[in-house]
Amino acid sequence: MERLDLMAKMKQENVARIIDFLQENKNRQGEVSLTDVMHLAEVMSGSMFDFLSTVQPAVTEELTAIARQITRMKEEISQLRANDMTTSKIPDAGRELDAIVEATENATNTIMETAEEIMGADTSDPVAYQELVSNKMINIFEACTFQDITGQRISKVVETLRFIDERVSSFISQLRIPEDLEAAMEESADERRKRELILHGPQHTGEGVSQDDIDALLGDAQSDIDKLFD
Amino acid sequence: MALDLQMPVLVVDDYKTMIRIIRNLLKQLGFEDIDDAADGTEALEKMKQRRYGLVISDWNMEPMTGYELLKQVRSDSGLSKTPFIMVTAESKTENVIAAKKAGVNNYIVKPFNAQTLKGKIEAVFSD
Repeated sequence: MERLDLMAKMKQENVARIIDFLQENKNRQGEVSLTDVMHLAEVMSGSMFDFLSTVQPAVTEELTAIARQITRMKEEISQLRANDMTTSKIPDAGRELDAIVEATENATNTIMETAEEIMGADTSDPVAYQELVSNKMINIFEACTFQDITGQRISKVVETLRFIDERVSSFISQLRIPEDLEAAMEESADERRKRELILHGPQHTGEGVSQDDIDALLGDAQSDIDKLFD
Repeated sequence: MALDLQMPVLVVDDYKTMIRIIRNLLKQLGFEDIDDAADGTEALEKMKQRRYGLVISDWNMEPMTGYELLKQVRSDSGLSKTPFIMVTAESKTENVIAAKKAGVNNYIVKPFNAQTLKGKIEAVFSD
């Protein structure tokens, strides 16, 4: 407010000087010399100098603040290590997940093949059958070792997710984006399909309904099911 | 409708291991004629070519889900009476109610055991 008052006062002073100059030259009936023009220029530039000297510190202060903010944002962006994420961490996490899928699939196949061999084995010779079952059980135990390796791989993926979460959270915090400023997400085709076809995927323990609950729901009369919508 | 172990059963799942598990469980229960499909579209084509005594289907498949398959089956006069059991990880009340409304005969939530599968199949054919 003080700054505005000062600027207004300065403007008045400058305008007064220009008016005085014009008043002095009024009686010359349009005969204006080069000296007059230069004097007018001097008065005008003086008034501009006054204006700029008043405004410049404020502008400089604002520009410095913006420059500081830009520098800080650049630091935050570099902290994000976006290149590291896209070229290394995320692809690595993808490879770990692929390896997990492959390991569990191989283990499942081994266990199922072994179980199928046991189920289809000849039981007429109890001694031979017992030996076969014992050997096949060892195969099943061996196949179950996948759990240790997949556990370690999952830990690496979790670590990557935590890395991304920490950096993105810090970045968002630095941006100081108000919660109500977040843009509304437009529903994608995949999201619409999931909503329309009721695709929620597996639920965590305690979140979905149990088999007993389902049996109760299916056993109930339709009117009872309809009550759930009320 | 009586339970006939000779009837052809169609198992629909996009996960080969699950098909293998259900196939083995059905064999243990005495079923011999077991066919499979990887999604609703393939299942529907097979159902139009052959009369199955029972369909056991997953829910979450692409391009056609088990839920869409169920609705298609129930809206087709030639297939509408086919017993249909949903075997799925979709365990929200909303899913069960939607399946019930669409005409499912029974609903099994994954993971399940042989006893549950046996019990639900028997329940479908004892109604």
